Amino acid sequence: MRTKFIFSTLFFIPVLIVQITLVQFITWNAITPNFILILLVFHSILFGQLYGTILGFVYGLLFDLITGGLLGSAMLSYTLAGFIAGYFSNENKRHIYLKPFNFGLIVLLCSITASIIYSIFSTIDFSTNIIASLFEEGLLPGLYTFVVAIIIIYFYPRRKLFES
Amino acid sequence: MLKIFSNFWNKFKEYIVLVILILASLFALTNNNNTAVKNVRTIAFSSFAFFSNLISDVTSSTLIKNENDKLRRLNAKLMLQVNLLRKYGIENQELKRLLSLKSTVSYPFISASVVSKSLNTASNTFTLNSGKTDGVKPGMPVINDLGLIGIVYTVSDNYSMIRTLRNVNLRITVKDERSRVNAILKWDGNDLILTNIPKTSDIKIGDRIISSELSTIVPLPIPIGYIISINNKSTDIFNRVKIKSFANLTSVENVFIIKMIKSVQVNKLELNFFKKENSAN
Repeated sequence: MRTKFIFSTLFFIPVLIVQITLVQFITWNAITPNFILILLVFHSILFGQLYGTILGFVYGLLFDLITGGLLGSAMLSYTLAGFIAGYFSNENKRHIYLKPFNFGLIVLLCSITASIIYSIFSTIDFSTNIIASLFEEGLLPGLYTFVVAIIIIYFYPRRKLFES
Repeated sequence: MLKIFSNFWNKFKEYIVLVILILASLFALTNNNNTAVKNVRTIAFSSFAFFSNLISDVTSSTLIKNENDKLRRLNAKLMLQVNLLRKYGIENQELKRLLSLKSTVSYPFISASVVSKSLNTASNTFTLNSGKTDGVKPGMPVINDLGLIGIVYTVSDNYSMIRTLRNVNLRITVKDERSRVNAILKWDGNDLILTNIPKTSDIKIGDRIISSELSTIVPLPIPIGYIISINNKSTDIFNRVKIKSFANLTSVENVFIIKMIKSVQVNKLELNFFKKENSAN
């Protein structure tokens, strides 16, 4: 458990570097895919709900500290995303959940939840249209992350996936 | 008792951990302005900026060729403009001298490159490769050739983090360049908007928005953007005015930090004023 956790945390660093340096090149209309969330969902499905919840908290903490965001906002949203993703960590059904489209849907669910919670604490101006804000800040980044997640998991070696 | 507790833990451990971590997150949310938190954040981002810088160097070198072509064309255009501006500058200096106005734009620049960007919709921040050793301090305005980019927020020895215009925590006093109407500029998560503009104010779509001298953060007239829409709801007292920034925050690579902090000067002035008043009493 401890080794897995250190491995997951170490793996976070290159993904965060990609998120804050290279993602700008695939940004569409200020909407970006969330690679950190994809990594979190992947580890939550592989290693369980408790693991996913704690890992989400750690990822959120590091993300908030390093990017200068409102400390606690990413912590809260990633913790909940890890918890939700953990519901799909059933050993007998894992191979189904890790199929590209299914994995993408789980990422979409977690991404929308995380984006909405993150927005509530850091962005949403309640004088504007909340439904429109939730759509722009929750659904659109979620859909973009969904597409990217499908592409990543599609090219991930299946043998390696089930060995782990 | 221990067995009951053990059973309870085994049954609900995921939920217990979730509740504890949510409470910890909420506690962190309420302690954002704590000095210790700020110090930890400075250490975290400056250590990480080193790695981001390496990646940024590689990516920027691939982009530099395209940028070079664009810059050559721009350079030719600018050369023509410079000749014209030089003439205006001389005229302006003479007029200012006549009016006994002091020049207010003689601040030095610190050049910097963006090494990483946090492009989330709420709190957009950039990390720059200039820090305390270059003379950067929190509060300094950051610009590029098109206009204002943001304000320096945290500084470490070699790096600094800026809050860009697309950050909900950044609010700047601005004015309409044509009609001189003052307003507060803020990012609402989707758009740059101007607040506190009464409906009777003289503003039009296409008007240029610049920073106001009333601003304690950016007192120089730096271009920010132009008005793209005015939402005139009959039920509101104020207009909701949308702005498009001149600077493209997604593609910005190189910036300048203006070496000035107006608020400190104002604070000192006000402090001296109050000191004098107290000593007179």
